[in-house]
Amino acid sequence: MSITSTGTTEVAGTGTRATRVLGLLALAGLAWLVAFGLLISPEDEVQGDAVRLMYVHVPSAWLAYLAFFVTAVGSILYLIPRTRSLAWDRVAGASAEIGVVFTAFALVTGMVWGRITWGFYWTWDARLTSTALLFVLFLGYLAVRRLQASPDVRAKRAAIVGVVAFIDVPIVHMSVQWWRTLHQKPTVARLDLDPQIDGIMLFSLFVGVAAFTLVYVWLLVHRMRVAVMEDALDDHGLEVAIAERQAEATGVTP
Amino acid sequence: MNDLGSILLGYGLVLGGMAAYAWSVIRRGRRLAARLPDEDKPWA
Repeated sequence: MSITSTGTTEVAGTGTRATRVLGLLALAGLAWLVAFGLLISPEDEVQGDAVRLMYVHVPSAWLAYLAFFVTAVGSILYLIPRTRSLAWDRVAGASAEIGVVFTAFALVTGMVWGRITWGFYWTWDARLTSTALLFVLFLGYLAVRRLQASPDVRAKRAAIVGVVAFIDVPIVHMSVQWWRTLHQKPTVARLDLDPQIDGIMLFSLFVGVAAFTLVYVWLLVHRMRVAVMEDALDDHGLEVAIAERQAEATGVTP
Repeated sequence: MNDLGSILLGYGLVLGGMAAYAWSVIRRGRRLAARLPDEDKPWA
């Protein structure tokens, strides 16, 4: 930490000892994921080595679901007058941004996997289409957050869009059951709770989910702290503008 | 290993994308932290 010429103390951004420990755990988790995904886990009888993409594709999709679920919960808590707080709005916004990143990972790895198993990168299949729609819906949510408005108006608009956009998450998940799709049916998150997957592959998949969850929590903490500082900077800007207006009115230079 | 290039491309895009996004968040945080006093950073 150092004192700057403007009198503000320069701390190391959004990091603390706890986030550094969390970051190291996330890195260790990712190293385990690479080891299990690329080296330890066996190839699949049908798909061969292409199944190794599952260990990054499925956790990306699940973490996108989780991130958007957190956005929906934060949005609902903001919309309920008794629990209304801009802190919930920040949670929702931060989680949505991370969710969009994980959705992009799910789409891209799915396309690479599809190229190997189906022979093409993209088809307008129900799972792929609903996932692409999810990506666009939450990009729209992030765009709504950037519209010029007071913090409360912005938060209320975003919360409504966040809750509505979340409706697509169960549609994405159930799309392979509700429609005939090229995308395979669920192998782990099944309604009969009977995963159709080999033990070491299932373990490798859970290593991926655990590692990505650690990354998500780490990113969420940092992104929320960035949001806290963005709001504080907006407040300071407003204070300066009010002081300037008052000075103009009284004819005193601030 | 079959399809090694595609598999590595998938892992590279995800891990590289994660690193790039994490770096952008950290950089944004550092820039903002330098412009604000400590009372606006409850974790500091």
